[in-house]
Amino acid sequence: MKYAGEPEPFEFEPGPLIRPFAVTRGRAGKDLHELDIITLVVAVRPEADVAALDREYGDILRMCHQRPLSIAEISAKMGLLLAAVKVLVSDLISSGHLIFRSPPPPTSGRPDIKLLQAVLDGVRNL
Amino acid sequence: MAFETSDRSAGSPEMTGVRAVKLLVAGGFGVGKTTLVTAVSEIKPLRTEERLSAIGAGVDDLTGVERKTTTTVALDFGRITINSEVVLYLFGTPGQDRFWFMWKELSVGALGAVVLADTRRLEDSFGAIDFFESRGTPFIVAVNCFDGAEIYDEVEVRQALAIDDHVPVQLCDVRDRESSKRVLVRLLEYLMTVATAGAAAGTW
Repeated sequence: MKYAGEPEPFEFEPGPLIRPFAVTRGRAGKDLHELDIITLVVAVRPEADVAALDREYGDILRMCHQRPLSIAEISAKMGLLLAAVKVLVSDLISSGHLIFRSPPPPTSGRPDIKLLQAVLDGVRNL
Repeated sequence: MAFETSDRSAGSPEMTGVRAVKLLVAGGFGVGKTTLVTAVSEIKPLRTEERLSAIGAGVDDLTGVERKTTTTVALDFGRITINSEVVLYLFGTPGQDRFWFMWKELSVGALGAVVLADTRRLEDSFGAIDFFESRGTPFIVAVNCFDGAEIYDEVEVRQALAIDDHVPVQLCDVRDRESSKRVLVRLLEYLMTVATAGAAAGTW
């Protein structure tokens, strides 16, 4: 039932969509810096710097302090969509707060046999 | 180019010494993908979400999006630290056809994949098999032996799924860590074989 003067109710569930992109100020972004779901990032600026940044940027820098994390892990830990995290991480790369490494593109040729052997050994040793 | 890294990956020049690789675990709904990831992951599996309409559209703003019906798709993943230089991520990929756009992005650069099958619903694995065959992503089939499910042997499964002779088929129980580990070992051994054969034949 509606009452006069009451705002129109939302016709959909806004939760999972609106909030994540509010933190990127509405930018969905192109994938700047060729960020992949397993691109690893590490924070390189001192902790003191974090206070001046928006909360989400600070959260990312704190969780990537001294250890590399993937875009996927940041997304899971923050409860934000991958696309939103890519935008925020891109900003932090551009501002020099984060350094990153993306996986090699699939066009880079033959599979790396040494890498496969290392992964095989690692899984065997689990 | 002076700053090109040896593997031509994008990244900051000062970020050296660590790299991430990924394997995919695909299969129908409820076949045990997340259970397999959980069995071998060093962390409690994490869940991340992607927005359905965000993919491939090249959107740069969300104007008008409030009128669209959107869906998010969840991905569960685990992590295994291989050594000080390599981190392995395992992604359970959503099984339903409508999420295949997600597989596309995920399969880019993946070392390989496990197609997890349930003998009671083998047809649920057809989509994943077709996808990896068409993309040229090397994969193995792991048959999760559920309690109460009829036990088939490897040959029967292979015939029912119409997969090539060289694709390994492995029976497993994904609730068991050792069994799940053996699935990954089998996949990686297969990837080594494929890579070595390819290098020898000069196909790469």
